[in-house]
Amino acid sequence: MLRVMSRRGDDRVTWDEQKAHAGDPEATAAVREAERIFTQERAKGATAFSVVPGKPTQRIEQFDPTAEQIVMVPRVVGG
Amino acid sequence: MSFVTQVLATLGWIVVAPLAISPIVWLILQPYCKGWSRAERRAADLLRDTLTPEQFRQLVWRGYLEVPSPTEPQRVYRVPRTKGYIQVIENGRAVMRLCVQPVECLPDADVIVLHKLMIEANEENYLQKANKYVCIE
Repeated sequence: MLRVMSRRGDDRVTWDEQKAHAGDPEATAAVREAERIFTQERAKGATAFSVVPGKPTQRIEQFDPTAEQIVMVPRVVGG
Repeated sequence: MSFVTQVLATLGWIVVAPLAISPIVWLILQPYCKGWSRAERRAADLLRDTLTPEQFRQLVWRGYLEVPSPTEPQRVYRVPRTKGYIQVIENGRAVMRLCVQPVECLPDADVIVLHKLMIEANEENYLQKANKYVCIE
């Protein structure tokens, strides 16, 4: 699942990795859409994290369709 | 003053008075409305998914979330439940306050998650971006 923080809360894109791997067109389209959003948000300065309950959070630079959950946060500045 | 002028003046006040009062009413009601908004509910879901039950209890009861530094064992970041400075605690003493905020307006619960993720997996960059206020005793 990809969760992108915004003023609307978080926008979510979900996909079934196994179905996408098997070539299911709907799942593949969802993965492509998630990857497009990931790239678009990264270009705007967002940071992406792979978040798995019970495991340390990891910052990621590339979209990972196998990640259980990717959370994208907007760019931060000193206040 | 003619009757017509008086009627027009009264009608004018009927229009102007609610417009003048509405920002004040909104300021009073806003905190209550915020909790009901879809954005706040979604952000609260993400917060619950991201925190352990213990961390969530700490946030609710103490009003802050403590995030241990991944690089400095004696350092803890204290993230407030609502907007405010992040306190840096070292060996049990507040040594610094940080001011870091997202460029985009986010629900409060999302801001807590943002701080937690940045500290846990991007601490160096987080500290670079933050405005720092050293605590002097």
